[in-house]
Amino acid sequence: MSRIFKSREFLVLLLLVGMILAVSTVNKAVLRPVTLINILNSSLFLMLIAIGQMFVILTRGIDVSVGAIAGVSAVIFGFALNAGFPLPVAMAAALLTGLLAGMVNAVGVVFVGIPPIIMTLGTLGIYRGLMRVLTGGSWIESIPRNIKALAVTRFASIPLMVWGVAVLVIVVAILMHRIRATRHFYAVGDNLDGAYLLGINTRRTRFIAFSLAGLFAGAAAIVFVGQIGFVPMQTGDGQELKAIAAVVLGGVSLMGGTGSIWSAVIGALFLTAVDSMMIFLRIPGSWNNAVAGAVLLAVVVLDYAIRRAAEKRRLTLRAAEMLRAETAMAPAGVQSEGRA
Amino acid sequence: MSNLRWLKSWEFALLVALMVELAVLGMINPAFLNVQNLLYSTSDFVHVIIAAVGLTLIIMTGGIDISGVSLMGLASIVLGLSFVAGAPIWLAVGVALAVGLLAGAFNGSVVANTDVNPLVITLAMLFLYSGVATGLPTLLDMLGFKAYGAGGFEAYQYEGINGLPKSFTWFGTGRIGWLPMPLVVTLVLTLIAGWLMGHTRFGRFLQLIGVNAEAARHTGVPLKRTLITVYALNGLAAAVAGLVLTAYFTSARSDLGAEALLNIITAVVLGGSSIYGGEGSVLGTFLAGLVLGYLRQGLLALGITSDVVPVIVGALLIGSVAGRIGLAALQRSRANRAAYETERQAVAANGE
Amino acid sequence: MVVPDSTAVRDLGAVPLVALRGVWKVFESVTVLRGIDFDIRRGEVHALLGGNGSGKSTIVKIISGAYQPTAGSVEAGGHAQVLTSPAQAHAKGIYMVPQEPHIFPNLSVLENLTTGLAEDVAATEARARAIAQEIGLRVAFSAPGGSLSIANQQLVEIARGLMRNARVLILDEPTSSLTHHEVESLARQMRLLTARGIGILFISHRLDEVLAFSDRVSVLRDGRFVLAAPTAELSSERLIEAMLPEDYHACAEHVTTRPSTVRARPVLQVRGLSSQSFRDVSLEVHAGEVVGISGVVGSGRTELAEAIYGIDNTATGEVVINGTPAPRRSPRLCQEMGLSYVPEDRHANGIFLDLPSAQTISAALMALSGGRFMRPAQEIALANRFVQRLRIKLSSPMQVARTLSGGNQQKVVLAKALAPEPRVIILDEPTRGIDAHARQDVYRIIRELTDAGVGVVVISSEVSEIAEVSDRVLIMRRGRLHALPPGPIEVDHIANHIFAQTAEAQA
Repeated sequence: MSRIFKSREFLVLLLLVGMILAVSTVNKAVLRPVTLINILNSSLFLMLIAIGQMFVILTRGIDVSVGAIAGVSAVIFGFALNAGFPLPVAMAAALLTGLLAGMVNAVGVVFVGIPPIIMTLGTLGIYRGLMRVLTGGSWIESIPRNIKALAVTRFASIPLMVWGVAVLVIVVAILMHRIRATRHFYAVGDNLDGAYLLGINTRRTRFIAFSLAGLFAGAAAIVFVGQIGFVPMQTGDGQELKAIAAVVLGGVSLMGGTGSIWSAVIGALFLTAVDSMMIFLRIPGSWNNAVAGAVLLAVVVLDYAIRRAAEKRRLTLRAAEMLRAETAMAPAGVQSEGRA
Repeated sequence: MSNLRWLKSWEFALLVALMVELAVLGMINPAFLNVQNLLYSTSDFVHVIIAAVGLTLIIMTGGIDISGVSLMGLASIVLGLSFVAGAPIWLAVGVALAVGLLAGAFNGSVVANTDVNPLVITLAMLFLYSGVATGLPTLLDMLGFKAYGAGGFEAYQYEGINGLPKSFTWFGTGRIGWLPMPLVVTLVLTLIAGWLMGHTRFGRFLQLIGVNAEAARHTGVPLKRTLITVYALNGLAAAVAGLVLTAYFTSARSDLGAEALLNIITAVVLGGSSIYGGEGSVLGTFLAGLVLGYLRQGLLALGITSDVVPVIVGALLIGSVAGRIGLAALQRSRANRAAYETERQAVAANGE
Repeated sequence: MVVPDSTAVRDLGAVPLVALRGVWKVFESVTVLRGIDFDIRRGEVHALLGGNGSGKSTIVKIISGAYQPTAGSVEAGGHAQVLTSPAQAHAKGIYMVPQEPHIFPNLSVLENLTTGLAEDVAATEARARAIAQEIGLRVAFSAPGGSLSIANQQLVEIARGLMRNARVLILDEPTSSLTHHEVESLARQMRLLTARGIGILFISHRLDEVLAFSDRVSVLRDGRFVLAAPTAELSSERLIEAMLPEDYHACAEHVTTRPSTVRARPVLQVRGLSSQSFRDVSLEVHAGEVVGISGVVGSGRTELAEAIYGIDNTATGEVVINGTPAPRRSPRLCQEMGLSYVPEDRHANGIFLDLPSAQTISAALMALSGGRFMRPAQEIALANRFVQRLRIKLSSPMQVARTLSGGNQQKVVLAKALAPEPRVIILDEPTRGIDAHARQDVYRIIRELTDAGVGVVVISSEVSEIAEVSDRVLIMRRGRLHALPPGPIEVDHIANHIFAQTAEAQA
C-alpha cells in the first residue's frame, strides 16, 4: 500500500486534485459534476494514445507517430462509415489500421535497428501525408449521425464513451497485472541486455509495444470521430508530443522500466484539466501550451531531485551496510537487507 | 589513393544526390533549372537548414533539442512586439536574438544539471516557448498594450505583425549579387558552425562528449559549460531562422516554423549525423537541407500535391538510416569473414 | 608451451553436458577464438582462466547463446545445437550468471526471479521460494530488486538458473565483488550444486580460488588453450607460467633490481579527507615514489581517488597538489596543478573507443584551460611520441581505439593522462584485464615515471601487483586508510593485513 502513496502517479493525482481545489476558490463552477465529467470526456482521446505510448516508453522506446496514426485511422473509420459498413466493422477497420501502422514502426525499430525517434518521425511524415492524400486534403463530413450517439448517450449522466474507455482501462490494468509477459515490457526497458540473457524475447516484446501503440491510436481515433462527428485534417496533430508529455508526467521514465497504465491515465487527465482550468481562470487559451510545458518541466526536474536524494540515501545506507558486513564476522548466514 | 577518400565521404554522396536530383527534375521540367530561380527558391526552406545546423552541434554531443521550432516563432513575435513597442529595429532584432540565446542556454542548463532525457526537457520547452509565443501578444493586449499592431486583433490573426522596416525585411527579400540574403545568412552560419566543429577545442569537446561523456568528464572537458554553450548556440540559430523567415514573409508571427521539426531532424540525420552522438557534419546537414528543400520545390513544380512531400521526406529519413545500418552490417560481416579466412589459412600453414 | 591432451581429458566422464568443437569467432575483423575445443561435464567445476583479451567471455557468450561461432559447432547432450539466443540455451539446460548480475531495480525480488519464465505465477512462486530456501537467499520477496546486496543479487541469478532447471551453470567472475566471507558461502553453494550433478563453468582471475574450487582447469591465451588439466595436477606456479606470454622471462629480468628514486619533496598531500565511502583519510606522496593502495573491492579506494581528483565534490578535507592547496577541485583543475588520474574502468571512463587513438591521447592536453586546438599534424606528432615512449602497438595514430587490444587501449589512456606532464599520477587498477606482456610494460612505465621524479599512486586489488611496484603500501579497509605495519613488502604480509578484520575493529 505504501508503495502506491509513494508513487509518482499518486503525486500527480494529488497535484491534479490540488489544482482543481485551488481553482475552485476562484471559481466555484469547477467543482460542478458536469465540469469534471467534461474534463473526463475530453481527456479520452489523449488518454488512449497515451496508454499506447506508455507501452513503447516502458521498453525505452518512443513513438512520435501516434498522433498521425490516429489521423489515418480516423480517416479509414470515416471512409468505412460513409461506405455504409456497420459500426463494428468500421471500428475493426480503424483498429486494424492503427495496428498495421504500429507494426510498420515495429519492423523498422526492431528488425532494421533504426532508432525509434528517427523511425517514428519518418512515419509521422508518411502517415500524415497519407492521410491528406487519402482524403485529398478535405475533411470527411456527412458521417452517419448514429456514431455520435456513442458520445451523446449517457448512463448515470456520464457519456457511454467514458464508460467504454473506463472499462477498457480497467481491463488493460487487470491484464497487465495478470499476464506475466507484461513484466517483459518493464524488464526490457529496465535492462535490455539483462532481459535478453534471461531468455526474454526482447524483439517480440518491443515489437508488441510498438504495435500496441498503433492499436491504441486506432482506438483513440474511434473516440475522436465519435465525439465530434467528422474527421478534420488536424486530427491527431501535435497529439504525439502531448501523449509523451502525459506519460512522462504520470511517471513513466524515458529511461524505461517504471510507470504503469495509471501514469498514462492520470497524466492525460492532468493535461486536459490544465486546459479547462485556464478557462475557469479566464486565462486565454493561447497560454495552454505554456502551462503544460511548465508543469512537465517542473515535474521531471522535481522527480530528478527526489530520485537523486533517494539515491544518496541508498548509497549512505549501503556504505553503512558494507561497514557492518566487514566488521561483523558473523557466522554463516546472509545479511537480511530488503526486509525493511 | 588516400587523397581520394573524400570521394567515398557521405558529404560527397549528398552532393551527387543533389546534382542527380536537379538533373532529373530539370529533365522533366526544364524551367526548373533556371539558376536564378534555383537560388531564389532557397528562401522558402533555408530556415530549416539554419535550425538544422544548430541542431547538428547538439546531436554531436548525443543530445537533442526539439524546442527550436517553437523558438523560431518566439523570436519572431518578440521582434514584432519590441518593434510595435517602439524599439528601433536593430534593438528589436537584438532582443529577439537574445531571447533565443537565453532560452537555448536555459535548455542547456537543465540538460547539463539533471539526468533527465534531453528529449523530455526540450519537449517541455517546445510547449513552453510556443505557449509563451502565442500567449505573449494576448497578455500584453490584456494589459492595455496595443500588441497586435496597427491592424488590431483581426489583422494580427491573419497577417501577424506587419509594417516592419525595409532595412529589416531586406534580410529576407534582398540579395547580394545573385545570392538572396537568406541564403547568404545560411552560408555564413554554416561556415561558422563548420569552423567551430572542425577547428576549435569547443568542436572537439562536442565530439568527445558525444562519444563518451563520462570519459570526457574524467579527461577534464568542461561538460556543463560546453553543453550550456551548445544549446545556447542552437537557440540562437533557431532565433536567426525565425527572424530570416519573418523578414522573408515581412511579418512577425508566433507560429512561424512550427511545421519544420520533421524537416529539421531529417536534414541533420540525412546529413550524416548519428542520433547517438559523436558523429556529424555541418556541411552534410547543409547539403541534406538543400536536397530536401529542392525535392519539395521540384515536386511542386511537377504539379505533385504538397501532401505527398512529407511522405517522401519521411521515407528518405527512414531509408537513409536503414541503408547506412545495412551497409555497416554488410561491411562488418565481410571483414570478419575475410579475417577468419586469413587466420585459418595462417594456422593451417603453421601445421597446427 | 603445454598442449592440451584431449584424449586423456575425454576419459574422465561420459558425454559432456555441453561442448564446443573447433570453434572460431571473429569480431570487427579481430580473431578472438581460434578453433578451440572445450567441454563441461556432469558434477564438475571446470575453471576457465585467461586475461581479458584471451577470449574467455566470448566462450561464455557462445555457450550461453548470446553469440554464434564464426566456424565450428556447439554440442549439448551430445548433439550439435544452433543456439541463437539465451532462451534456446536455457531450453538446453545452460544458464549464465553474468559478472554483473542483471537485476531489475524496479521489479520485486519475486518478479526478478520469475521474469522470463513461461509457467503460471502460482506454480513459479512456490518453486522460487523452495529454491531460494535451498541456496540461502533470505530476503523479502516483495522488496525491490534494487535493494539487494551484490551477494544476494548473485544468488538471485543462480536461483534464476535453477528455476530453469539448468544442468550447466556458468559463473562469470562471481567472486570479483564479494567479500571474503561471501566467497566462502558461494563455494559451499557450488559444492552443493555439483553434488546434484550440475556442471559449473567457473571463471575467475584469482588463482587460489581456482585451485580450491575447481576439478579441472583450462587456460586460454590469445584465443587458444595453452593448458588443460585436472586441478589436482596443478599448482599456482604452473597456472601463472601458462598465462604468461612466452617472452615473459625476458621482460621479467628488469624487475629484479630497483634502486630507490624517492625524494623528499611531497607532490600530493591529503589530510583528513572524508566522504560517504571513506573517513578521515590522510596520505602523502613524494616525488619519485610509488605508493600502493590495496584493499578489497568496495573498501573505498576508487571513491578516494575520485574525491582527490575532483570527480566527486562532496568530500571534505584538505588536498595539496604539488605544494599548492586545492580546496576546490575538478579533473581539469587537478591536471593543471599536476595531478592526473587513470580510472579503473577504462571503457566507461577512460577512452574514446570510436575515435582515432590520437584523439584520446590529445584530449586531456586540449582540455586544459590554457590548451589550444591541435591541428591534425600536431596531434599525430604528439601521439607518435607516446606510441614510441609507451610502446603502443597500432598501425597508425589514426587507428580507431576500439580495434586495439586491451593492453594498448590502456596505454592510450595512460598517454592521455601523461600528456599534461603530471607531477603525480593516480593509477586505478592499471593492469586490470590486460595481458602479462602489457602488464610488464605498465610496470616499466611506472619506473620511468619515478625515475623522472613523478609521484605515483597505484590502486590495486591484486596483492602481487602492489608488492611488485610499491615503495610503500597503504591499505584501505572499511573506508579507512592504514599504513602497512613494518615488514617486507611481500604478498603474504600485505594480504594478511587486507583481510585482517575483526580483532582490531572490535578492540
